[in-house]
Amino acid sequence: MNILITGVSKGLGLSITEKLLKEGYTVFGISRRRTKELENLISLYPEKLNWISYDLADNQNIRDAIFKNWIGLKTPINSFINNAAIAYDDIVTNLNLTSLENMYKANVFSPMIITKFVLRQMLLHHIQGSIIHMSSISVHTGYKGLSMYASTKGALEAFSKNTAREWGERGIRSNCIVAGFMETEMSSSLNQDQKNRIYNRTSLKKATEVSSVTNTVQFLLSNKSNSITGQNIHVDSGTI
Amino acid sequence: MDSIVTKFNLIYMEKITSIINTILINRGKREMTLISLDTHLRNDIGFDSLDLAELTVRIEAEYDVDIFEEGIVNTVKEILEKINID
Repeated sequence: MNILITGVSKGLGLSITEKLLKEGYTVFGISRRRTKELENLISLYPEKLNWISYDLADNQNIRDAIFKNWIGLKTPINSFINNAAIAYDDIVTNLNLTSLENMYKANVFSPMIITKFVLRQMLLHHIQGSIIHMSSISVHTGYKGLSMYASTKGALEAFSKNTAREWGERGIRSNCIVAGFMETEMSSSLNQDQKNRIYNRTSLKKATEVSSVTNTVQFLLSNKSNSITGQNIHVDSGTI
Repeated sequence: MDSIVTKFNLIYMEKITSIINTILINRGKREMTLISLDTHLRNDIGFDSLDLAELTVRIEAEYDVDIFEEGIVNTVKEILEKINID
């Protein structure tokens, strides 16, 4: 099974990649930077982990750089995990259009374009694949300063649901994982007090465990979830 | 000159017929034996938008041309034109 995943250099993406490699999957990983942690994984799994540096804020060269020159049309892709994201956090009155456009390119437009080519590759190889978008609890519960970021994830949820409907008759599934706040670099700008306030809004009163998210990713890309598509699966310590 | 062009087109026609039939078989439909330049992809072959997407990617895999990139292609003749242009 070949899995394409974005944002593999750190945080959740790195953890998902490590989990998939341990389970025997072949991973095509994309990130801007080659971190030390990623370097370690590449040396541990030189045959199974293929990596390319690509900045998803550039949505003009996706076909050539990723699909034509790197993966190649002859390689079947069984699953796409859209994990990479930019978090541009600010209150709405401070909205900076360049930052907002940059975030939309990386969080929304590039994942849509990648989905286009992943679907094409699935059609070519007759694969009933699974597409997974990483969404965020901020789509469903409001947080000060996250309106712009949350709007990119809301766009992905709508895109995923409609992709599921469009391609379901070919057996291709699309789901979102609505992750709660995790102890990753994405939330590192928050101080402990801010984090505690966020965690106290959850049923379990604690951060979402990264392993709970990675296990859900593995479930959604496996045939154990064959009847699940067009859904938003909340892995968020019960933010209700 | 015309005959050379026709000969090239015949080779393309055979390949495109084969691609069209692969899609039809994948969809559990009967193969087509007679495909002409005027054959309409939707009306004569019965392709829907998802079938046309599969056609696009199979032609791209063969000729490295995305026939739907700049608008809709309706007939076999239009596919040949796209392939020849690029």
